[in-house]
Amino acid sequence: MKINFRLLLPAAAVFLADCTSTKTATTTASATTATAATAGGTATDALDDYDAVQVSDPLEPLNRATFTLNHGIYNALFRPIAKGYTTVTPKPFRQGVDNAFENAKFPVRFVNSSLQGKFDRAGKEVQKFGVNTFAGFGGLIKQSDRISSLADVPSEDSGQTLATWGIGHGPFLVLPVFGPSSAREAVGLAGDYALNPVNWLFKLRGGAEKTEWIPSAANTVRSLPDQLEKYDSSRANSVDPYVSVRSVFYQNRKAATAQ
Amino acid sequence: MNRRSLLPLVCCFSFSSISWSAPATEAEQFLKKAVDEVLATSDRAANSSALAEKVRPILQRYISFETMARRAVGPGWRQFTPDQQRKATQLFTTLVIRTYSSKFTPGERPVMSYLAAVTPAAGRVDVPTKLVYQGSRYSVTYRLEQEGSWKITDVVIEGVSLIANYRTQLDAKFKSGGAPAVISSLEQSVSRPK
Repeated sequence: MKINFRLLLPAAAVFLADCTSTKTATTTASATTATAATAGGTATDALDDYDAVQVSDPLEPLNRATFTLNHGIYNALFRPIAKGYTTVTPKPFRQGVDNAFENAKFPVRFVNSSLQGKFDRAGKEVQKFGVNTFAGFGGLIKQSDRISSLADVPSEDSGQTLATWGIGHGPFLVLPVFGPSSAREAVGLAGDYALNPVNWLFKLRGGAEKTEWIPSAANTVRSLPDQLEKYDSSRANSVDPYVSVRSVFYQNRKAATAQ
Repeated sequence: MNRRSLLPLVCCFSFSSISWSAPATEAEQFLKKAVDEVLATSDRAANSSALAEKVRPILQRYISFETMARRAVGPGWRQFTPDQQRKATQLFTTLVIRTYSSKFTPGERPVMSYLAAVTPAAGRVDVPTKLVYQGSRYSVTYRLEQEGSWKITDVVIEGVSLIANYRTQLDAKFKSGGAPAVISSLEQSVSRPK
């Protein structure tokens, strides 16, 4: 897992150089902008309801190469692991494990809600964490879903915080192994990694020789089936898988930030 | 993002949702009927591909595939001959139905709750819904338009618009080779095994 940060370094460098300048250049096809245009009465062409898409992707050739490489890695390595995991464990078990890991990620959501000034949401995260940890056997059961005020708290992450602070995406990046990202979101990813207690043991104690790596690795394995499903669905029935995955990424992040 | 820049938009939404509440209710009723009919059918399907075939006639009644295809191509649509438009619509229909039906496992019924509909413009209604499916929660917005009757013209899942996604991909194809390039790229996607 040490490699994580090494991978992110070049991204951070590009990010510093680019984040201020590309903000205006980055636009994505989005239903929201289209609606805004229509509502404001500025749309002149009914066929251009979804505006043409200009994303900042200066590294497209490299990104496409990494995209192909990742596809190979997912199929050769991740898919068998995910398949093995879903074969040997029953669905309720996996649901419990997912719930527990998501519950443990509480600091990511709490810190980022606070950094964005969404204190009401930060408070709800504390309640959620309390309810799930104490009434849900350490987070295995997501009891908070039964409480209507806590069922739909949008989860905040570091990328969204940077966006809220007015920092643009910067160039689109396909990270090795991690997949679609942007300069900003790559930095966000590093932030989330650092804030996730699952990785703390490993970081504080260093070294992969003992058992410190287990929580991080378990977290990766348990999240694989879901990640792969999302990846597959953003590729499925596409005309150009790369462009489709990129578009899904930008739209997804935009919606998450707007919440 | 910038909250202040969203303010006029929000005002616009809330204002229009008051003045257009009658069509909003109508559109919502239409959507509910469509969803119930699809779910009743998908419950009885044996597998995903059988499901796609079974829901096809139902979706064709409730979704305007022609509008979807037109919007996905954008202004370039005018340069399509009527034959090319028909062909593109037909291919696009297959892709959309496939995308839609691949999201369901037969026998697993999602629990849907409808949120307050908004009216972004006259003759248009967005119906946001919350979906609980196989233990996960999703936000899905259906966009409807009045074309004689109400029709579904876009589905936005977790902020990702189906049409905006295709628009991005087809734009590049159209720019590189016009209508024939768009049609052949759609053909390739249809013939590609899933």
